[in-house]
Amino acid sequence: MRISRRNFIQAASALSAAALTGCDQTVRFLGVPQAPGLAGPFEVAATSTVDPVTHVLRRLTFGPRPGDYARVAAMGIDAFMEEQLNPDAIDDYACDSLVRRNETLAAPLGELFEYKQDLLLRELTRATVQRAVYSNRQLYEVMVEFWSDHFNIAQSKGDCAWLKTADDRDVIRKHALGNFSELLRASALSPAMLWYLDGRANKKSNDSEKANENYARELLELHTLGVHGGYTQRDVMETARCLTGWTVRSEQKFFKGRLEFREDWHDDGEKTVLGQMIPAGGRETDIDRVIEIVTAHPSTAQYLAWKLCRRFIADDPQQSAVDAVAAAFTASKGDIKTTLRALFATEEFRASTDAKFKRPLRYVASALRATAAECDPNDALYQYLLRMGHTPFQYPTPDGYPEEAEHWMGSMLWRWHFTAALAESRIEGTQVDWKKLDEYAGGERMVVAHLLGRDASELETQCCTESGAGPVFMLASPSFQRF
Amino acid sequence: MQHTGFINGDGDTKNALVVIFLRGGADGLNMVVPIEDDAYYSARPLVGISKSATVPLDGMFALNPQLAPLANLYRSGDLAIVHCAGSEDQTRSHFEAQDAMEHGGTGGGGWLGRYLRYRPNGPGGPLAAVAIGSAAPEALRGAPATVVMNSFADFALGEKAPASMSALGKLYAPESGALGVAARSTLSALGKINQLNANSYTPSNDAKYPQSQLGDGLCNIAQLLKAKVGLEAACLDLGGWDSHFASATLIDPLMKDLADSVSAFHCDMNGAMRNTTVVVMTEFGRRVYENASLGTDHGRASAMFVLGGGVRGGKVYCDWKGLAMDKLEAPGDLPVQNNYRDVLAPILARHSGMNDYSRVFPEYALTPLELHA
Repeated sequence: MRISRRNFIQAASALSAAALTGCDQTVRFLGVPQAPGLAGPFEVAATSTVDPVTHVLRRLTFGPRPGDYARVAAMGIDAFMEEQLNPDAIDDYACDSLVRRNETLAAPLGELFEYKQDLLLRELTRATVQRAVYSNRQLYEVMVEFWSDHFNIAQSKGDCAWLKTADDRDVIRKHALGNFSELLRASALSPAMLWYLDGRANKKSNDSEKANENYARELLELHTLGVHGGYTQRDVMETARCLTGWTVRSEQKFFKGRLEFREDWHDDGEKTVLGQMIPAGGRETDIDRVIEIVTAHPSTAQYLAWKLCRRFIADDPQQSAVDAVAAAFTASKGDIKTTLRALFATEEFRASTDAKFKRPLRYVASALRATAAECDPNDALYQYLLRMGHTPFQYPTPDGYPEEAEHWMGSMLWRWHFTAALAESRIEGTQVDWKKLDEYAGGERMVVAHLLGRDASELETQCCTESGAGPVFMLASPSFQRF
Repeated sequence: MQHTGFINGDGDTKNALVVIFLRGGADGLNMVVPIEDDAYYSARPLVGISKSATVPLDGMFALNPQLAPLANLYRSGDLAIVHCAGSEDQTRSHFEAQDAMEHGGTGGGGWLGRYLRYRPNGPGGPLAAVAIGSAAPEALRGAPATVVMNSFADFALGEKAPASMSALGKLYAPESGALGVAARSTLSALGKINQLNANSYTPSNDAKYPQSQLGDGLCNIAQLLKAKVGLEAACLDLGGWDSHFASATLIDPLMKDLADSVSAFHCDMNGAMRNTTVVVMTEFGRRVYENASLGTDHGRASAMFVLGGGVRGGKVYCDWKGLAMDKLEAPGDLPVQNNYRDVLAPILARHSGMNDYSRVFPEYALTPLELHA
């Protein structure tokens, strides 16, 4: 049964791969825009230190592309922030056209089971890198990455292999710049999350059965209040009771993978969560009360504000910034845009130039963006992320990929490798037009300044020359690891 | 600030684990033969290995003649055999059983990936995990760094490596703190790897690796380990064990390759085997009873081999219950007595001092074997 289904799927995916190739050619023939390359001469910030425009560009995006500096300098930092906070108004046709070729991304939940899990992971990963490199909705993609870590799901666990694709689309991407309560609720009821943290097995169909606490604990510890947020073991148990009955249809029949509330599995007695009573008889509305209670808790505002500041300001952000961001979160009832606006307005944010260390995905994306690489994120590129230990959707435990610089120090070798391979055009499917980059930037010195976001130091210039590699060598420099 | 996560090119004494996965379900009963169990011979009149051909180990078990080179390692006390080993997976499906075993249960990622990420003083450096072949195995999924390696050329820092390395040294010289430390130790290790050359390598003690993928792979691993570049886990595959049909012709050469490769590695590594453990495992064993085409079908328990790393060898770990029908698991399979996690856990503990296994082997109540003195 299983074997024959797999064989069928293999045949089907081989067919669809063939169809996709044909489609690619048609698309080229019709002249649909390819990913943005080097359009023409661009202005470089050859200042002695990194200026505020470059700083903001680096933090709100996966790294500046040629031309970004001039555009943001002209429109002003505040206008750029507002632009990025409203991604729906940004034209992203070129990137969408690229991403659309990953046809599994659009498959409805039930149909995902028709695909091989390797293909699903490959397309999801490829789309993630394509968007990081090519999307004009950069802050949105940065936040998608943030929430993908915050609500981490390892694709390799059970049916998450099929369901994570839907979670990425219907939970993370749908709410990334929306309201936190809605994001949290969508995540709590996401079939992938119900699989990943065993919510689907959280039931009380008779008196002897005990609720499965796994999801409830992570909900409080990782998703909302934080480990020191002031909840007790009793709160975990009571939260788990509220969520009993929410499960995923797993039978081999129609609607496999769909969310389901089983009233006969639900513990419908009275509960008390974080000091608030939830009366008996709430059934499927218990979850809404839980979401209300946990998102309104002051620890949640503090914890999320701290995590956002850690992502956007520094690994160890100042409490003053965290407080300001937490206040905005609370006042806006979890509006993510309002919260980010408050963060970007802090002095601490503006003064944090170079305070962050790039995680590998950002390192790779920023290099590809800075050089306007033409890139198909295929297995060759994937190998670099694998070596650096930062392949999307593959972090095993629910805490998500670590944020702190210290964790990533072991990846230097492969960053240098990546630089050398990019310089020598050894990454299959990825190409940089070094001649054009040089010509449009205005010579070697300006390419170096473009990559560093400032003029090179004497040492940097000297090492560039000695390396024999030219300006691209700066991608291996300590400065390019920071942002 | 922890600085243990970088490669230390300067003579680190990290323990290394080499995992050889026999894909296809290796026939533990014909590898480590219960020669004193008459039920074995009545179940396998044609496929069974005759007692006179085997190499005796203890009062009950003997090695398949193809595995003869392992007998010396067993006698010298460096090789332990764990019989009746396997997982709780009952599907008898290669795909499901390999996945279950490599994932180490139902969590996200693989057991080895989680080990490297969460063990004390983790995570490892850029060369902590190496897989020989074309893709990283599931066991390494989620590891902090995984290198899928075909040859040492994969490590070279491009065409202009010497100039790049010297320039990198200068560029990172003013860096204090973690980044500077990481950069300098990385450069040092890279320098050592650049001197490795698979073709001109002379193994120690006249070790002779067979000309096979496994032999080449283990030879590469030995060189990396000797260069002390921070390698902590290496994964190699040996496929083709699915012996439904004419089993001897299929698996005899595999057993010979396995035994020759592993014993060459042991000989080459010599004293360094104290810090190196080789584990041989497979997703499941074969049915006790032979089938009509001189083969055996998918079963349950098989055997695991643990070599080096201070293991208490010269012993077959298992409480043999015999192969009488009432001792078997339907439809006629050797029951799993030693869960693979209980074999791996004590090795991980010895390698890293780890004592909390909840993230490496979640949702499993461990009863680790006492593999070490």
